[in-house]
Amino acid sequence: MKIRTVKYVVKEGIKNAVRNKLMTIASICVVAATLLVFGIFYLVTANLQYNTDLMQQQPEIQVYCSPEIDDSMVAQIEQTIKNNQGVKSTETVTKKQAFEKLKEMLGENKSLLEGLDESFLSVSFIVKLTDPQKGSNVVKELEAINGVEKVTFPEETVQGISKINGLIQFISILLIIVLLIVSTFIISNTIKLTVFARRKEINIMKFIGGTDWFIRWPFIVEGVIIGVVGAIIAFLIIGFGYDTIQNKVDKDFVHMSFNMIKLLSVYSVAAQMLIGYIVVGAFVGAAGSALSIRKHLRV
Amino acid sequence: MVKLTDVTKVYPNGTVALKNISLRIDKGEFVFVVGPSGSGKTTFIKMLFNEECPTEGKITVNNYKINEITRKDIPYLRRGLGIVYQDFRLLPNKTVYENISFALQITEALPREIRRQVPMALALVGLSRKANMYPNQLSGGEQQRVVLARAIVNNPSLLIADEPTGNLDPETSWEIMKLLTEINQRGTTVIVATHEKNIVNRLKKRVIAIDGGILVRDEQKGQYGNEDTNS
Repeated sequence: MKIRTVKYVVKEGIKNAVRNKLMTIASICVVAATLLVFGIFYLVTANLQYNTDLMQQQPEIQVYCSPEIDDSMVAQIEQTIKNNQGVKSTETVTKKQAFEKLKEMLGENKSLLEGLDESFLSVSFIVKLTDPQKGSNVVKELEAINGVEKVTFPEETVQGISKINGLIQFISILLIIVLLIVSTFIISNTIKLTVFARRKEINIMKFIGGTDWFIRWPFIVEGVIIGVVGAIIAFLIIGFGYDTIQNKVDKDFVHMSFNMIKLLSVYSVAAQMLIGYIVVGAFVGAAGSALSIRKHLRV
Repeated sequence: MVKLTDVTKVYPNGTVALKNISLRIDKGEFVFVVGPSGSGKTTFIKMLFNEECPTEGKITVNNYKINEITRKDIPYLRRGLGIVYQDFRLLPNKTVYENISFALQITEALPREIRRQVPMALALVGLSRKANMYPNQLSGGEQQRVVLARAIVNNPSLLIADEPTGNLDPETSWEIMKLLTEINQRGTTVIVATHEKNIVNRLKKRVIAIDGGILVRDEQKGQYGNEDTNS
């Protein structure tokens, strides 16, 4: 294909999209609506995933040292914990911090602690795991360290959450595939309508001596325009909508003492959503055009 | 230029449209194809540019063998022909100028070439002033002239017209026919399927008469015979 033909094809595609205003707008709306549904679903599952991931990381092991050991031994224990392969990070809770925490927990009853200092408490470590599934093994290893008095580990919660997580992952992949197929079908059907309205035109071009690809390309360009514009509209709607919801959730839920729900920020999902939208929109638009024009080229 | 050997066309529903037609049209000829409606003359015309395929026999047009042409070659066959359709087949979304230039764009002609050829074709059919109008803003005769301009714009060696005056009043019909003879005088072979008795008799060209799918008459300087009408 010569460069002037490429120019012609692009110009023609844009011109056709503009000349068939009504059909173009209708198709763009359908693309935007389908992608919107798709996007909402994607965001819901992405957030579910994000939250279960967070929860899964939260169950932390607390390692309590014996109260009577000295600082050098504490440092030694810390080093041993850090060297364990199943450990992602540790955080030291000094006696003083533990004391403050206790005070806070008691609240109005903190008078109970009057006359006492932190010396009766023990130093502890908050340990996060690389793989919560292997938690019980790590716990056994930590318990064996010299100077460790007690190790706590909420095992059942971890296993429950990881089960749910797997299920969510499976269902969301399944639903995304189904939705992708459905949106492809709906969008290509709409484009089929616009092509059907112009089947005579396609026939005529064929009778004048246009090759299949010469006739097909402008339609593909048109399909890509429809797909991409629809994708951008859907992206803008979902972007602003999600931003609003996220701000509200952040504000309202923070006041509740348990901030269980945390939404992914718009910015962390925006780029990948925009790219995904445009790729899906352009691809479905182009494929829809190319497929639905095929039948009318057979003359 | 055009050669048919024992061509038979049977439509899928069993209708036999043409039966054992053999004929030959040479370069530079002007040929009328006449016959009552349903005689098979439109089938004959349509087979020349592969809108229909022959069931049996051989057809050669411009060195393309229609009976064994591949899908890929069809556009190239059609580019070498100028075709005037009874139902015009103009692109409704394009202006007169664009409709004509489209025939050149598909051949990937140079823009310079297009800018030169299109006004020439428009001038020949006398529509230079309506270049920027859309087909639905034109009368039937004007539309037919646009079709004619589109057919000749890439200087085809063979011009095929299927009832080019079918929907037009006698005066406009005569003008179109005059245009066709002018084109023929410039060296283009012209094949016209028509019902117009007066025009055929007046022009005294070769006449091929088809009736009931059979070639009944083929004479130089022919007349429109009585058997060629329905009435």
